[in-house]
Amino acid sequence: MTKVVILDGDGKTLSALIGPTGPEHRRLANKVMADALARANLAFSEISYVVATGYGRINVPFADRQITELTCHAKGIASLFPAVRTAIDIGGQDAKGLKIRNGKLVDFVMNDRCAAGTGRFLDVLVGTLGLRIDELGEISLKATQKLPISSVCTVFAQMEIMACLSEGTPLPDIVAGLHDAIANRVVKMIKKLKIEPDVVFTGGVAKNIGVVNALQETLGLNVSVPAEPLLTGALGAALLGRELALKALAEGKPVHEKELRLDEPTFFKVK
Amino acid sequence: MTVKEKKGLVRAKELYQDRSQRAKELKAEGKKVMGYFCLYPVLEIFTAFDIVPFRILGDMGEPITKADSCLPTIVCPFIRSALDLGLKGRYDFFDGVVMCHSCEVGEKAAHIWRIYMDPSYYHFLDTPHTVHAPAQQQFKGQLEDYQKTLEAFTGKKLSAGKLQEAVATCNKQRVLVRELYDLRKSDPPLISGTEIIEVMVALMSIPVAEGSDLLQQVISEVKERTDGPQKKPHRLLLWGTVIDNTALVEMIENVGANVVMDDTCVGSRAYFPMVEPTDNPLDGLSRRYLVDIKCPRTFHEAAYGDTKKDYIKDLEYRFGYLKDFAKEWNADGVILQSIRYCDIHGYDTPGLQDYLNHIGLPNIYIEHDYSEGALAPLRTRVQGFLELIG
Repeated sequence: MTKVVILDGDGKTLSALIGPTGPEHRRLANKVMADALARANLAFSEISYVVATGYGRINVPFADRQITELTCHAKGIASLFPAVRTAIDIGGQDAKGLKIRNGKLVDFVMNDRCAAGTGRFLDVLVGTLGLRIDELGEISLKATQKLPISSVCTVFAQMEIMACLSEGTPLPDIVAGLHDAIANRVVKMIKKLKIEPDVVFTGGVAKNIGVVNALQETLGLNVSVPAEPLLTGALGAALLGRELALKALAEGKPVHEKELRLDEPTFFKVK
Repeated sequence: MTVKEKKGLVRAKELYQDRSQRAKELKAEGKKVMGYFCLYPVLEIFTAFDIVPFRILGDMGEPITKADSCLPTIVCPFIRSALDLGLKGRYDFFDGVVMCHSCEVGEKAAHIWRIYMDPSYYHFLDTPHTVHAPAQQQFKGQLEDYQKTLEAFTGKKLSAGKLQEAVATCNKQRVLVRELYDLRKSDPPLISGTEIIEVMVALMSIPVAEGSDLLQQVISEVKERTDGPQKKPHRLLLWGTVIDNTALVEMIENVGANVVMDDTCVGSRAYFPMVEPTDNPLDGLSRRYLVDIKCPRTFHEAAYGDTKKDYIKDLEYRFGYLKDFAKEWNADGVILQSIRYCDIHGYDTPGLQDYLNHIGLPNIYIEHDYSEGALAPLRTRVQGFLELIG
């Protein structure tokens, strides 16, 4: 997904939008941006500063600067939850743990190149279960017991689930088991950061109440979730962009280092 | 001989991209070319026999296809890659190979190499893993044996004078490498981390004296040029497993940092220790190779046999040189990189991170599969690390 947040000079949100990234690499970033501008009734020339973040950050030609989603999530989350000390971001591609002190990122961990413990894990397994990703949370609440998923590998977990389906294990129990598997894997990883409250959970998977509960249980701590967990990275990027623009203005420097065009993204150079 | 006319960095890049070209030329002229594995087969001994030493490396850009037929996939990908190249015939120009007990896998790879590649000369150099006096004596004895097998193979008797000459030749190259590394101390450095790898890989593909000529050309070239590396917000020290490919450093240098110093075996670890000239050159050589090369494959500790250890003192003894590197080259962060499944580096990582944290040097550990294509996920980690050190 491509997300856009546009802030005004005071840091007030003018427009926030979640659009598709599209299967053809990342061709749609400029279109989502155009939609967000239209909603705020703004022209691109009126935008002072653009920060691109996330996996596609280096493909956005109309950005002044690219900053990793690690720094952007920390910034966005801290603006919403000033007391945050640990943030967990589980998205479609990966899972991250962020250690935040006084609103700033001080350490982080990221999962390896493996789908287990990410949104992709659920994405792959809903197909096997014949469910939609957005109904998993509710369904898991009906579980009477949690199916223990022993494998941390997405493909092997799928085989385990198929075996349980054939034995007639109720769907809610399987789904609750999947949520537990994600929580266990992610908590194991972020323990390296020495988890301290307040804990905030963000990213697409934070919309799943089942994973929120599983995380709280595994951590033994309360977990806060932003109203729009998909947007904390974009919000952080916008906040950092605002700071950078204001800093340049205060120092009397030009805000843009290059001319920006609202074009289709460019791609990695292929050797 | 138009190829040889290319100089300095262009020549280094050419040798980096096509490592065997010069060795094959020399072979055609009648010289012997010997492949060697890891840093321990003594370069001075090859040089004294007028043998072209050629370090066996892998290729991060080449998918491993043949090695999987003789090795499981859960072993060191660097060794798998080197073996893969061997199986594909890329090292067919060798007249022989010298393998060594570098690490456990290095030792096992020696067997595999001998069985599958069947070189006409093969020697396994038993390299102790500790540095105390009996180990040095043992290693010296191994070097004597190694010299004898080469005497038998070449039909030439080696004099101490010849070996002493070779010590001087190799030391001269090491002084030049230091001189080149000194040019990384300025901000911006006069030579990039990417270019350094090209030069170091080139050095490991040609005779030592030719390498020194190349170094001299590179040194004058980078001192004079005006289009060297740009100043960047961060200066990094890179520690870890073998890096014989520019892709990783290029990625790091593209996200806002210059790699200004390294501690890897295709870098300072291979060239900084000097050989002290001794009456019997093998004394100086065994000390330099076994004790002074600081590779995690060797067990180093502050007080040998001391059962009540001071952890920080021990770390200082093992890793203190990295503090000096960071200070002299003015690095503001350290990237600890490891090829997946590298036990020797993996086990040194916790102590090294404790030490770096103790001295307040920001650091991050990253691991990779020894594959060019799989580096993209590391970009976010490295860039995130640079963002949090400010």
